[in-house]
Amino acid sequence: MKLNTFYLLAGIIGLIEVGLFWVSVLTRESMLITGAFVVGILVIYVARGRISDRRDDERSALITQKAGARTLEIFWILFFAVSLGGLVMGFATPLGIPPPPRPFPRSPPDEPHIGYFGLLQMVLLCGMVFLYIGFRLYYARKYGEWDDDEE
Amino acid sequence: MKNKIKIFRAMHDITQETLAQEMGVARQTILAIEKGKYDPSLDLAFKLARRFGVRIDELFAYGEEFPQGSKIRGGIPENRDAPHEGRTT
Repeated sequence: MKLNTFYLLAGIIGLIEVGLFWVSVLTRESMLITGAFVVGILVIYVARGRISDRRDDERSALITQKAGARTLEIFWILFFAVSLGGLVMGFATPLGIPPPPRPFPRSPPDEPHIGYFGLLQMVLLCGMVFLYIGFRLYYARKYGEWDDDEE
Repeated sequence: MKNKIKIFRAMHDITQETLAQEMGVARQTILAIEKGKYDPSLDLAFKLARRFGVRIDELFAYGEEFPQGSKIRGGIPENRDAPHEGRTT
């Protein structure tokens, strides 16, 4: 498989995932998008292993490795901090026992309380992608990715 | 780490692209090594030395400079000695 074919396939899978996410929201089937995402990623990994014209050398591997490690170093702190905030909300009552339900007015039963946490996680994950790109650009520049000479 | 890849490459009249293809790396990797921005792995360093027919310490020098007297003549440095020859054990 050519590299461009792989990119095309990845784009198509991405579009399918977006469509399935929409269907999942409409049908309230969270497992649909969860399963579809895992399958999509597996397909991409398998396809990536079949690329014939990819040239990964040790320098690009080092850039990827360093950028990934630095991203993880920062991301886990952010993620842990946000999760601690979530824990505080969970244990904010004595002995973790939730208070009795308020009589009236109560929040509507369909309010997506747990969905807010998913939204926050998505924001963090998007932030992680940008962080990774930033580190990747930094290390690529450090190891001469865009250097040129007389040749 | 200093290296003499550019000199040896000029002596053997090969381009960065050709050398990169022979070594199985990208041209930018050869360029980065020549400019001292990237230190190659031992595997790649040995491959490069073997390609030019020299010892690894004649191609790469740890520190600022190559040792005194390590001038290159006809692809073989002057101070090239054979450490295992004439050694009595």
